[in-house]
Amino acid sequence: MKEILLMTHVMLGVACILATLWVFVDVLNASEANDGRIKLISRLSPLAMGLCFLVAGYWYVNLYPADKAIILKGPWPFAHDLFMETKEHLVIVLLLLTAYLPITTSGNLYRNLGARRLTLVVSALIILTGLVMEGEGAVISMGVRMGLLPH
Amino acid sequence: MEHNRASNHAAAFGVSLAVASLANALLVTAKEKNPKVLAFMKGFTGHHWITHCVFIIGIFIVLGWLLTRVNGGTGIRLTFSNLIVILVGGVLLGAATIVGFYLIEG
Repeated sequence: MKEILLMTHVMLGVACILATLWVFVDVLNASEANDGRIKLISRLSPLAMGLCFLVAGYWYVNLYPADKAIILKGPWPFAHDLFMETKEHLVIVLLLLTAYLPITTSGNLYRNLGARRLTLVVSALIILTGLVMEGEGAVISMGVRMGLLPH
Repeated sequence: MEHNRASNHAAAFGVSLAVASLANALLVTAKEKNPKVLAFMKGFTGHHWITHCVFIIGIFIVLGWLLTRVNGGTGIRLTFSNLIVILVGGVLLGAATIVGFYLIEG
């Protein structure tokens, strides 16, 4: 169950990144034809991130303390002290960025350069922060593995 | 010219997001440096991180809603360029503060 929750949150995070990347590319080519699609996909990003946040939050509060103890006793304590500590706080801003994305796409993007630029900036922040979260998650997992290896 | 001005909700919640990001960083340093703050946050919901999320998400929603109501309901007046500077500045400064704090204190 623990592993399923862990992988579900990773997959939802990837889904959020991919949905946002789709929005980014579509906005670069914004027209009346793809306006509806941009608005639809921009709503999938906060949906995926919201579900990811709930699953990851449950896992962090209820299941992570055992992993944390292993990490802190192992050779990679920074996997918790730096990577998990920053991840658990930066992810809150990522959630807010995804919630903001549909607001930026609500206008006529194909007629409004400023709205397009705002959407591109917010999308880029979501994609980059999301990739940082995925990378930090990998380091945290490696921290657990290092703690379980005989040393 | 009108197209250069961000919509009411985009401006309000963009500024709110920047403020929430900075508040997020301030709350991290406050709870990590002050045991009383951490104890209060643990006691409020049972876990400091849940309380942290409630506060920051609450700031984003409440401040964003309040900012849409100013100027007789027309909201704050911001160009897209200024909004992008405020938004990116707030998010990056908040993130840099958190990373810097744990690099030094972690």
